[in-house]
Formats: sequence, C-alpha cells, structure tokens
Amino acid sequence: MSVPPGSLSGERGIGGRLASVLIGYGALALAACLLAPLAGSTHISLARAFDRSIPFPDNVDAQILFVARMPRVLTGAIVGSTLAAAGVVMQALLGNPLATPFTLGVSTGAALGAVLAITFGTSFPIGTLASVPLASLAGAVVASAIVYVLATRPGRPISTMVLLLAGVTLNAFFSALILFVQYAADFTQAYRTIRWLMGDLDVGSFAPIVASLPLVLVSLGIFAFLPRSLNLLSVGADSAATRGVDVGLTQRLAFFSASLATAAAVSLAGPIGFVGIVVPHLVRLMVGVDHRIVLPASALFGAAFLIGCDLIARTVLAPVEVPVGVVTAMLGGPFFLWLLVRRS
Amino acid sequence: MAARQAKLIRCVVVLLLLCGVNLSGSLEPPRGPQRSASRPTVAPLPTGATRIVSLVPNVTEMLFAVGAGPQLVGVSSYDDFPPETKALPRVGALLDPDTERILSLRPDLVIVYGSQSELEGQFTRAGIRVYPYRHGGIDSILQAIRDVARLSGHPADGDRVIRELRSQLDAVVTRVRGQRRPRTMLVIGRDAGTLRGVYVSGGIGFLHELLDIAGGDDVFGDIKREAVQPSNETMIVRAPEVIMELHPGEQPPADVLRKERAAWNLLASVPAVRTGRVHLLYGGYLLAAGPRIGRAAEAFARVLHPDSFK
Amino acid sequence: MLRAESVSFGYDGGFTLSDASVDIAAGSLTGLLGPNGCGKTTLLKLLSGVLRPRSGRVMLGDRVLSSMTRRELARHVASVPQETHPAFDYTVMEMVLMGRHPHLSAFQLEGPADFEIARQALDATGTRHLADRNYMTLSGGEKQRVVIASALAQSTEVLLLDEPTASLDLGYQLDVASLLARLNRERNVTMVLATHDLNLVASLCERLVVMRDGRILAAGPTGDVLTGETVLQLYDVDADVQFHQRAGHLTVIPVRRMS
Repeated sequence: MSVPPGSLSGERGIGGRLASVLIGYGALALAACLLAPLAGSTHISLARAFDRSIPFPDNVDAQILFVARMPRVLTGAIVGSTLAAAGVVMQALLGNPLATPFTLGVSTGAALGAVLAITFGTSFPIGTLASVPLASLAGAVVASAIVYVLATRPGRPISTMVLLLAGVTLNAFFSALILFVQYAADFTQAYRTIRWLMGDLDVGSFAPIVASLPLVLVSLGIFAFLPRSLNLLSVGADSAATRGVDVGLTQRLAFFSASLATAAAVSLAGPIGFVGIVVPHLVRLMVGVDHRIVLPASALFGAAFLIGCDLIARTVLAPVEVPVGVVTAMLGGPFFLWLLVRRS
Repeated sequence: MAARQAKLIRCVVVLLLLCGVNLSGSLEPPRGPQRSASRPTVAPLPTGATRIVSLVPNVTEMLFAVGAGPQLVGVSSYDDFPPETKALPRVGALLDPDTERILSLRPDLVIVYGSQSELEGQFTRAGIRVYPYRHGGIDSILQAIRDVARLSGHPADGDRVIRELRSQLDAVVTRVRGQRRPRTMLVIGRDAGTLRGVYVSGGIGFLHELLDIAGGDDVFGDIKREAVQPSNETMIVRAPEVIMELHPGEQPPADVLRKERAAWNLLASVPAVRTGRVHLLYGGYLLAAGPRIGRAAEAFARVLHPDSFK
Repeated sequence: MLRAESVSFGYDGGFTLSDASVDIAAGSLTGLLGPNGCGKTTLLKLLSGVLRPRSGRVMLGDRVLSSMTRRELARHVASVPQETHPAFDYTVMEMVLMGRHPHLSAFQLEGPADFEIARQALDATGTRHLADRNYMTLSGGEKQRVVIASALAQSTEVLLLDEPTASLDLGYQLDVASLLARLNRERNVTMVLATHDLNLVASLCERLVVMRDGRILAAGPTGDVLTGETVLQLYDVDADVQFHQRAGHLTVIPVRRMS
C-alpha cells in the first residue's frame, strides 16, 4: 500500500513537522513580542522612543516603551509560555486532558502565601524583591511538597489517582485557609487578595522578571527531556514501562518541573487561569497530540496568547484596565465548556 | 492605632467601587463645601438615643465630635479613634456583626452600613431605631454628622461641628485661592517597595473633593470612580506634577521612607518624580470620612502649596 | 530464554505470588492459565520487569532482570496489556512508532529505519491501511492489533500478552489468535499469553503454566496439562476436554460448576 504524500506515516513526519511548527509558532510569538509593545492606550512615536539625543527622563515615549510596556509584554511571554507548557506536562502526567497547571494545588499554595504576606506580612520589601512574590513562591513550594509526600512512595511509580486526589484535597484545604485568613484580614487586604488572584502582568520593572528567570529556565530545560516519555506515559504507565520509560523518574521530573514552572509564573503575575488548558487544547486541534510538537508549540503559542489577552486587558476600557485573568477567563471559560461538551 | 480605622474606611471606598456603586450622588464634584446638605434626612427623636451601638468607625468619630460619645455602648471591631473607643465593647463589623451581642447591650439606636439591609431589618423588627450610613462625598459626611447629631439629641452641637468643618474647608480654599493648581495623583494603595498594586483616587468621593479643595487638579478626575488601578503606562501618560501617597499607619523609619519614595524613580519622566514632588503622608486622619476631613484638606494643601503656609 | 526462579511478590505484607518458577524456552508459545486473581498478571509484570520480585529473581538469558535498565530491557521484552486507553488521540502510526522508544536516544527522532520497522509491524498485524487513522476511532479488534504492532515495533525476542482477546468478539479473537501463531512461526517471537480462554491456549500454545492462589500448580506440554482434572482444580468446573478433529486441537466444553 502506498503512502499518501504528507501522510503521518511518511518519513518526513516528525522532523519536518517539528521544524515547521517551531518556525510558524516561533514567528507568531516573536511577532507578538515585537508588535504588542507598539500598541496600547496611548500612541507613541518609535522614532522618538529610540532617539538617543533625548535624555531618558525627558523621553516620555521611551519611558512608556521601555518601562511600562516591554516588561509587561515580556512578563506575558514568560508567564504565558510557562503556564501553557506546564499545562501540557500536567495533562500528560495525570493522563487527563482536563488537568491544568493549578490542578495539583500549586496555585492555591501560592495564593495562600500571597494572602498571608498581604495580611500579616511585613509591608517592607526584602532585598530587591517584594514580600508577596516571595511568599507566594514559598506557598507554591510547600503545596507541591505536601502533594508529593502524600502521593509518592519511594521506589514506586506515582499513582495518578492518588496524586489527583491529594491535589484536589489540598486545593480545597488551602482555599479554606485562604478564606479564614481573609476573614481575619481587613477589607483593603481582602480586596488586594482578590485583585492578586485575578493576575496582573504590570510588574513595574525588569527586576521581578530577572528574578523568576532561573526557575523558568530550569523547568523549561527539564521539559525538553520529557516529550517522548510523556507520549508513552499518556498511553498508560505500565505500557510505558514495558516500552522502556523509567516511569517513576519521568513522573517525578514532570511533577517537579511543572510545579516549579507554575510556581515561578504564579509568583510573577498571580494565578492567571485558563492559559494552561486553553492553549494546549487549541494547539492540539492544530498540530495533533504528539508531545514533541505540542509542548514547544504550546510554549510559543502560550506566549502569544497571553500577550494578546493583556493587550485586550490594557486597551479595551482604557484608561481603566481589565484584569488580565478576567480576559483569559472570559475567552477560556466558554472554550473549556465547549471542550467538555465536545468530549461527552 | 488609628491606622486600622483609617484602613477600614479606605476599604469601604474600595468595596463600594467593587460593587460599582456611585453614592456621591453627583458626577460634578463641588468646588468646596458650599453645596453641602442643609435639610436633615431623619426626624429627631423626642429625646436623643441614650444607648448607641455604632458599627461604622467614622460615624463613631462623628458621635464623639457632637458630644454623644458617653451615650455609646458598643463599637465595631475596627474602632480606635478617639482613644475612648478602646474601653467600649466590640460588636463585630461590616462582615461579621454580632447581632446577639448588640441586642444584649439593649441599644436604642444602632448605626449600620447602608449595605447591611438584613441587619437593619432585624433591628427594626426588634423595635430598635437604625441609622444606615451611606458612604459618599463631603456632602454625605456633613449630612451624616447632622443626622447622628439629631438622633443622639445633640442637634446644636451637630450644626456647630458642621459650621466648624465648613469654615476649616473654606479657610483652605481661601489660602490656596489664585494659586496654580498642580496636576496631582492621590495614591491610596501600593504594594510596598514596588509600583505594583497602585490604587489612586478617581473623580468621585470625599478624597477627590478634598484634593479639589486643597487646590490640586486630580489627574484621574475624569474617571468617575472612587478608586482606580492605573497601569504604569497610564501614570506616565497622565504625568502628575505632584504624587501624594496616603498611608493610614504611623510614619516608618527614615530608610524605609526613602526606599518607598525611591520606588517611584522608575517613572523617571513623570514631572513629580523629576522635581522631587513625591510626598508620602502618614496618619489615620488622612483617610477617615469624618470630622477630621478639615485637617486632611489642610495637610493636602500644605503639600500642594507650601508657599501659602509660610 | 526467560526464567523466573522462585519469585515472590506482594504489596504491604500479603503475597500475590509466592515461590513461582517458570522457564520460557526461546521461540516457544506458552499459555498462562488460572482463575481471576491467581497472579497471572503479577507474573507477567515480573517477567516484563515492570515489577521487581520481593524474593527470587528473573533471568533473561544469563542476565538478571533487575540489573538491566528499563531501556535495555525494553529492547528484549515487549508487553501487550489487556486494554489500552491513551489520554490523547494519537494516530495509529504514532502509537506504533512509540514502540521504537527504547531504540532512540533522548533527543533522537525516528528515522527511515524506524518507519520501515513500524510499517512492517503494521503489515504483520494487517493494520497498514489504518496508519493515518486516530486510535480512538478504531474498533476493539483493530485497537488490539495496533497495540500488538506497537509491541512488535519494539523488535524484541519476547512478547508478553495479558488477555489480548478478552474484550474481542469471536471473529477478532480468531484473527488475533492466528496473528499470534503466525508471528511466533514466522518471526520466531517467544510469547507468553495469559488468558481465560481455554480453547485459545489449546489451539495456540505448545506449553501451559497453570496457576492458582499465587502458586504454580503445573507446567508442561499442553496435551499433558490441559485435562479435565486441571480445569476442575482451577475453576471448580466439570468440563470435557477432547481432541477436536476439525479444529485440530484440544477443546474444552464446560459442563457444570461444582461447589
């Protein structure tokens, strides 16, 4: 039987598809990174922004471009790609396409940390980092550690059922703690908590981005080793083991890297919802389900997606802003429901 | 500490914003206290209430100002001004009023938030007079003073307090008359050490009106909301000449103060930053919608027009 | 070729398998019989190295299984589970190519040789025409054949199958049976087949291992082991075991449940 041209069973298959996806989605992400800073609630002149003859403090256009927009777009790129990639890994790890980076309690842990910092924390910054991101990072790490300890036993593969159960339970428990802390907080603090939960990419400078980069790079580095193993893992743990996958190691790496990536993203910009599920599913609709293609494509598309959502957030009601988490939820919620309906 | 009370009031501002409520009743803020209310909205009790419970800290403050302090038998968990409130029983607050405890204090007047309609119904059914306080601009503050003064049997003191407040505000208006009005951003919230989570006063509410009286042009005055969360871009574009940051707490040590001021240096092109006109003000009175607004207006004016106070 | 030497296994105290020894000869087709919960699947997982024995050892040739890495092991022993439910809808070709995993290094993509092996596996299982279809759209019999193709693409000498026909209708059962017989004959794949289907093992397997309550009761040539007495011992069922002329192998007719 002859193989039709362009068929998946053709030899060019993976390599060619990977290359074209990297180029296509890479171009999209790059375009978003380059074009989004040009748009906003105000019109700026690029020529003036890059005019070296004007001292920086006098150059409002340069200020808007370099201080207000670029850190924001960069944060959108990092958070979007990290959450989307973490979503892909989490879905494969749990063998459940409806899983999100937040399913295992990382974001609720981060939220608890942030709420504690907002309510009881010192209002003075520690070093160059503010206390809220640090506390949310710590909360995310604690939550992941608890889930890990609950769900794993030395030397054995992780039971995804137990993992899921531990994550869901911890989510509920931490949510209750958050409500309790909020009850003890005054209204301003409670409101700031609510606002934090909606997510915000306006990080104000490059410093928090730089601070989150090591975590992001480590987790993306681990992600690079995972895709083929994730393919096999999502077919079944035992079957993956007999195909030569070290299931326990793969699961632990996936859990660790996805949690770390989520923790970094959430501590940088708050728990921005739906990116981690909408993007992987959109990407799968376009490029199929092979993780070697889905993972990099989701990372790139996630960057473009969140930059786009933030562009809507900062322009649609200008000069007032819509929280970016509201935009992703407005786009993502209906999409998620559609996915559910389509699956049943 | 007066901090908590002021913080509470600040939250009420924010909560009202959350509910999308515009209670100031006027889109065009008045240029002073001239338009303040003149007719009472409540009929005075035959004899003033003798056992009052207040769930609203700034109304508690009003009651003390009109001389009804000794009639208070219970206050909210956030009350701490004036210091006499510290000796009074605490009966919860907006979200967690302790109905039983309030009833056990056998009050004949309970002051609640306008949004606590269920609570209002409960006390009304129990035959207890209820005054629902509604938050708004300076007019509402003066009106509330007049109302609670009547309800507590001190109508004359109420009128006196209002007269004094008006003359304080008028004095500020007079002081800054003719001065150039700097474009001002009134910051009411910001995450420590960064330019994240910045909240500023919009074009509605007593803070906006106080800024107006103190001779400043609110750079966010066109946004008809009590609180606005501007992006860095918007702050750069609005280019305020003065940034006034209000903190309900005590003034921190000098090094922290310096660090917090330095957080604004990121927006290098903003005139207030370039000319060093970033001011951090500390004190509970700054954010309290009560009898101390005259003091707040003067504090604002001293920052905006230092020459007028030489 | 593949040998379990008095292996025991159990979770948390209890034993699901104790002191089991089997010797699978190269090129043989061995049936593994026993009632539900007798330890068949556990024994298969020990033979494939998915589980490690609590005591005893499993040998592949002259090497101890537990000394080999997963990758190494997967180049010698492949498994076909009873049912396969991928979380994502892979294409048939993608499913089959996953069998190449142990032969590829970390970042290596499948090359022409891997595609050739995958196509042969598709041909061998008669699923070539399904290559571009999505796995989840296939019928039960097609799915099972694709999973077998994926195991074949692993290019191993040993294939372990756990009730490969359990969820199939009669027609597909016969398809899979003849497929296994052909693979064993033509490719000389050593197979161990755990099943409840007595007539299937009678038609396919030259050797039988019968188990009950985590122990091996008997092992030997099918003709010797597959008797009415064995069926009674295993299932408490009175059955006639006779040679069937037209089928050309032993057949088991269950008559009634004892007990």
